[in-house]
Amino acid sequence: MSRRIFITGYGIITSIGKNAAENYQSLVDRKCGFGTLEILNTVHKDDLPACEIKLSDQQLCDLCGVSIKQGYTRTVLLGIIAAKEAMHMAGLSPSEMYATGLLSATTTGGIRELERHYYELQDPNEHGDFEVFTDTANPGEHTERMAEEFGIKKYVGTVSTACSSSANAIILGARLITSGELDTVICGGAEALSKFTINGFNSLMILDRDHCKPFDIKRKGLNLGEGAAYLVLESEDTIQRSGKKPIAELKGFGNTNDAFHQTASSPDGAGAFLAMKMALDTASIHPSAVSYINTHGTATENNDLSEGLAIQRLFGNQVPPFSSTKPYTGHTLAAAGSIEAVYSIMALSQQVIFPNLNFNEQMEELSITPEKELIENAKLKYVLSNSFGFGGNVSSLLLASL
Amino acid sequence: MSNTNYYINGLGIVSPQKTYNNNEFLPEIVAYHDNVLTSIVPDFKEYINPVQLRRLSRMLRIGLTAAIICTRDSGITKPDGIITATGYGFLNDTAKFVSEMLAQQERHLTPTFFMQGTYNALSGLVALTLKCNGYNNTYVNKGFSFETALHDGMMQLYESNFKTFLIGSYDEADEIQYKVNSRVNHYKLEHINSLELYDHATKGSLQGEGSAFFTLSKEQGEKCWCILKGVTMIFKPDSSEFLGEAFKKFLKKHNISINEIDLLINGLSGDIENDKILSEFTAKLFHQTPEIRFKHLCGEYCTASSFGLWLGASILKKQQIPSIVKFNPASLPSSIRMVLIANQYMGRNYSFILLEKV
Repeated sequence: MSRRIFITGYGIITSIGKNAAENYQSLVDRKCGFGTLEILNTVHKDDLPACEIKLSDQQLCDLCGVSIKQGYTRTVLLGIIAAKEAMHMAGLSPSEMYATGLLSATTTGGIRELERHYYELQDPNEHGDFEVFTDTANPGEHTERMAEEFGIKKYVGTVSTACSSSANAIILGARLITSGELDTVICGGAEALSKFTINGFNSLMILDRDHCKPFDIKRKGLNLGEGAAYLVLESEDTIQRSGKKPIAELKGFGNTNDAFHQTASSPDGAGAFLAMKMALDTASIHPSAVSYINTHGTATENNDLSEGLAIQRLFGNQVPPFSSTKPYTGHTLAAAGSIEAVYSIMALSQQVIFPNLNFNEQMEELSITPEKELIENAKLKYVLSNSFGFGGNVSSLLLASL
Repeated sequence: MSNTNYYINGLGIVSPQKTYNNNEFLPEIVAYHDNVLTSIVPDFKEYINPVQLRRLSRMLRIGLTAAIICTRDSGITKPDGIITATGYGFLNDTAKFVSEMLAQQERHLTPTFFMQGTYNALSGLVALTLKCNGYNNTYVNKGFSFETALHDGMMQLYESNFKTFLIGSYDEADEIQYKVNSRVNHYKLEHINSLELYDHATKGSLQGEGSAFFTLSKEQGEKCWCILKGVTMIFKPDSSEFLGEAFKKFLKKHNISINEIDLLINGLSGDIENDKILSEFTAKLFHQTPEIRFKHLCGEYCTASSFGLWLGASILKKQQIPSIVKFNPASLPSSIRMVLIANQYMGRNYSFILLEKV
């Protein structure tokens, strides 16, 4: 990459914390968000537990400082909370905001509100408070609402590539900086739980009713989650001008397609291999230099096998420590890429490796084992963060300490 | 990047007009009378194998067909990457799943509509069909979706050794979007003849749809349609002056003066309120420039600018303008060299796309 890209801020909200500090503490304390659904009203609240943020929409509005009457969907509210923290950490001034871009990712946008007001919204004779959610199911709407909230005009974009979405928002952000289009960009993703996703994944029979077990031979599927995370990316010359101290560097990235099946990963993880390799190649980094992989690790039978084999193929007999943080947050779909990018940055800046919870028994098909315990003083230089999705979309980010 | 030429070496489009045959140029014009314009489709079996065809939703069939027409036209069977764009994606399928879910109290659901409803389902399907492991992305930012995809493709070609990207749009005229958006008068209250869209100075537009794919390359192909010079997006300009300033910057970046633009493709939607800023802007800057319009042919949808791009590319290649799109009497130069597409969606997403004859 011709122009170096630095991370000067990040923000996050998940079921294990409403800001970066809370998330970090939960990761260290092995505290998970998995449990019965209390906020989302679904018939599955007891039989399909998930990683839910235990704050009502009203409480989220209070955190954002907006009125519930403004029609901000839960996805938008989560997005605002995380992006605000990122902007604050990066110390973006109002004048910088004007020249900043916003790239956000989501898979469901405001489906949660659409399903809640489904019949009323379609009936022209019905009127009431629900009308603020008229066009909020559209995925681009959440980014535009956020952009308006922050006064961002320069570049507004929305990505949706299923569960790799926010990794791709980060990649686009980096490339907009490399190309000289932007100097500063806020990028990430937001996703609220909905009946739509819970029932969708349930109909695919890939939800574990118990707490998920990534890379374990007895893994039975994923747990869903919700959340949002954003990074502030800035060019090298911009931080030289401002004198800001960057937190980490985005060193490389890869985006490929598995081209195998609409919803399943190829058995040998061809796309995953290519994406990780591309991330290393763009940074001119040898696989042996990677000190930790934050895997996609959803705990579905298919993903963990495919990803594990791709890792073995790329790293040979020098596979670095790896773990999945999905048992903490659940699979937050479009937000997973940016949430795990934030965890990877935390790992780099605190020099820790977060444990892969619930791993007990080795998979027969793999010769590699995830980290089960928290590792401190880990001496991390390069961390790879993987995000894969339906449609064969696979992306990998390479983050570096400074 | 602004001085690089990006060649549109192939295209394929399925729209509410008969546009799927690249050897013809709007051979017959179809009028719609219920404010909803839906696609005129070819025989899908000529593009998609029967086993695959049975499994695909209507939108996936239309999208994949447009992509195949495009790859056949350009002769590129394996692009370096695929980028798609949509406003509402497969809302039709999503709505089917939601309806079933609500009607059956979240029990006994089948995953088909859920699986086919993800926004990247088409880019994944095209990758699967072309066996393309390369870059793959999908943009879903309303009236910016297609422009972001174009911009991404241009950046990919500029920054790497890649040669060709397949870039496509898709949007479906679905019922739920029609009903929901009718609440904010996005569609006209009165039913009109679609071809008379611009004679009705009222609130609302017509609902349209379509899918258009383009191959974008750094090198000129044998059947090249035109050069894509540049694209830019402006989010919620508060006045036509603001839009004008952004436009001036765009021209400057590409080192072009306004007099060089031979033809304006105006993306007015026929909605008197949403069109206000764009029509003020074009009236001020382009009153002497020949102008054509297209949303009376394809309707309004988030990625309608891709229909505009198809129209511009066709005019530049064929050097003819069908009379149905002409909107002002300004005389045309003997050779149409530079074309500007100016678009707006819902009065929020504005864009400019600049094309040049090869």
